[in-house]
Amino acid sequence: MSAAPLNTVTVPTAPARPNVPSIAVRARDLLGCEWTKFRSVRSTYWTLAVAVVTPIGFSILVASAFAAAPPGGTPADPLLPGLLSLEYAVIAVAVLGVLSFSSEFGTGLIRTTFAAAPRRRAVLAAKAAVTGTVTLIAGEVVAFSSFFADQAVLSGHHLGVGISDPGVPGAVLATGVLLCVFALIGVAIGAIVRHTAGGIAAAIGVIVVPAVLALLPAPWNGRIGRFTLLDAARQVTALHPQPDLFTPAASLLVLLAWPAAALAAAALLITHRDV
Amino acid sequence: MIELDQLSKRFGSVTALDDLSFTVRPGHVTGFLGPNGAGKTTTMKIILGLDTPTAGTALVNGCRYDRLVRPLHQVGSLLDATALHGGRTARLHLASIAQSNGIGRRRVAEVLALTGMEAVADRRVNGYSLGMKQRLGLAAAMLGDPPVLMLDEPVNGLDTEGIGWIRQFFKTLAAEGRTVLVSSHLMSEMALSADHLIVIGRGKLLADTPTAQLIAANARHDVLLRSPRAAELAGLLTARGATITPQPDGALVVTGLDAAAIGDLAASRGIAVHALVPRQASLEDAYLDLTGESVDYHGTPVTASGPVTERTPNPMSTAR
Repeated sequence: MSAAPLNTVTVPTAPARPNVPSIAVRARDLLGCEWTKFRSVRSTYWTLAVAVVTPIGFSILVASAFAAAPPGGTPADPLLPGLLSLEYAVIAVAVLGVLSFSSEFGTGLIRTTFAAAPRRRAVLAAKAAVTGTVTLIAGEVVAFSSFFADQAVLSGHHLGVGISDPGVPGAVLATGVLLCVFALIGVAIGAIVRHTAGGIAAAIGVIVVPAVLALLPAPWNGRIGRFTLLDAARQVTALHPQPDLFTPAASLLVLLAWPAAALAAAALLITHRDV
Repeated sequence: MIELDQLSKRFGSVTALDDLSFTVRPGHVTGFLGPNGAGKTTTMKIILGLDTPTAGTALVNGCRYDRLVRPLHQVGSLLDATALHGGRTARLHLASIAQSNGIGRRRVAEVLALTGMEAVADRRVNGYSLGMKQRLGLAAAMLGDPPVLMLDEPVNGLDTEGIGWIRQFFKTLAAEGRTVLVSSHLMSEMALSADHLIVIGRGKLLADTPTAQLIAANARHDVLLRSPRAAELAGLLTARGATITPQPDGALVVTGLDAAAIGDLAASRGIAVHALVPRQASLEDAYLDLTGESVDYHGTPVTASGPVTERTPNPMSTAR
């Protein structure tokens, strides 16, 4: 565009901005994009299979062990097998979350993604929504399946509870939320660490470190532990919460605060970095 | 239209781009040339909003990339054809990108046909050759039918037929009035496919000219002359206004007179001429002249004597 007067300058390609799609339409576009990516790779199905099949089987084993315990001791919480059995499942969904970003960073596909959607936080939100929704559904399927299987085992020994007993529906629902919580933390870690091996290592650290804190001398194990995912999960999923930790309601907030904080950190970092 | 204004990018102490300004206009295939490490990919990443410049601006159709809504309708790009999830099929790869910009499935089928990928569209891409991945990358760039296309080394990995096809493809796109920016480190390729050239070296603009003009401006037209009476002939030629550069082996390099004039002059004086070779610098030479100073990684010239020959040949040096 040299010294030609403005009115003779031809701008042949730049079209008048076509009617800008609404935020809802753009959100639907990105969700559709991420959903297509999510369902079109095999790792999704492998990790989900691990996350759904192992805990149901594992919880039946734990319930059987509870049922076989000699009578006399303090009876275990009848909902505990449903929680204990999630140990591998949370690693699987955390890996699923990490991969949603790290696989794109690892291959360079993230450049195609961000070139197609320059608002990177919207991409983060779409990935979190897709991974979060699927793992929430998977988590509830696992929680209720495990519950009914476990109670079938326990009721034979008069240790079981019914789904309509006080406190039970809420606790089972809360158990189902756990997979989603860890998957979202995985998504955030994937966006921050950007590397599959490093991201998985970091995610496992988040899962394992609370167990180490539990070894602290009392009362510090409880004072610090109640802020960890492990104790918070224990409180919201127990029929008989422990009195020295946060209440189930406060523990649920702790449980949700972790992925919220992780996603907020990811949202801060994702916009400024070169990719 | 792509406009760069005083673009700079530093990575720590390394300056990747140094005050780079140029405009890429519609209707032409513009070649973006430079040695490896010159900053071509960095420039393209900044244009696409993937890297943040240290200073300066890059505009596409007058707008910063990160302000574009549904940017694939404005700019189609291909940075790295191998940047794919190996487990995904080409069709679903394209479908996911298309969805992000509100583009329908019919357009996905169209770009697969456009790039000749229909037959393999439902295979996982980890079985693809590099050439097929390049075609898939072009298909992705064409999804939004964009007025601006920007492609980083798109010819890499294509066979001869593929290269011919892609050249024609770019020319057609430019003829439709689109802006086409194609990077390469190979001048010979750009000489055939680009009608305008932007050359950078070490992040600085070295040339921004029509291809023909770059050749003319940098070309040496001279004549190599061998004669048993070279000294005598040199005197005659100088008297006619030619410039003589004697070579170590006794030959003369003559500029200012063409081969016919030199031959006629020698014949008229009965001087034998053993060699009379008009020499024209190729575009490759023009490019080497331009970028010679700005190449980051020089190879050591391999000579027939000396310690170099005693080394085991490095297999990497011949692997292409």
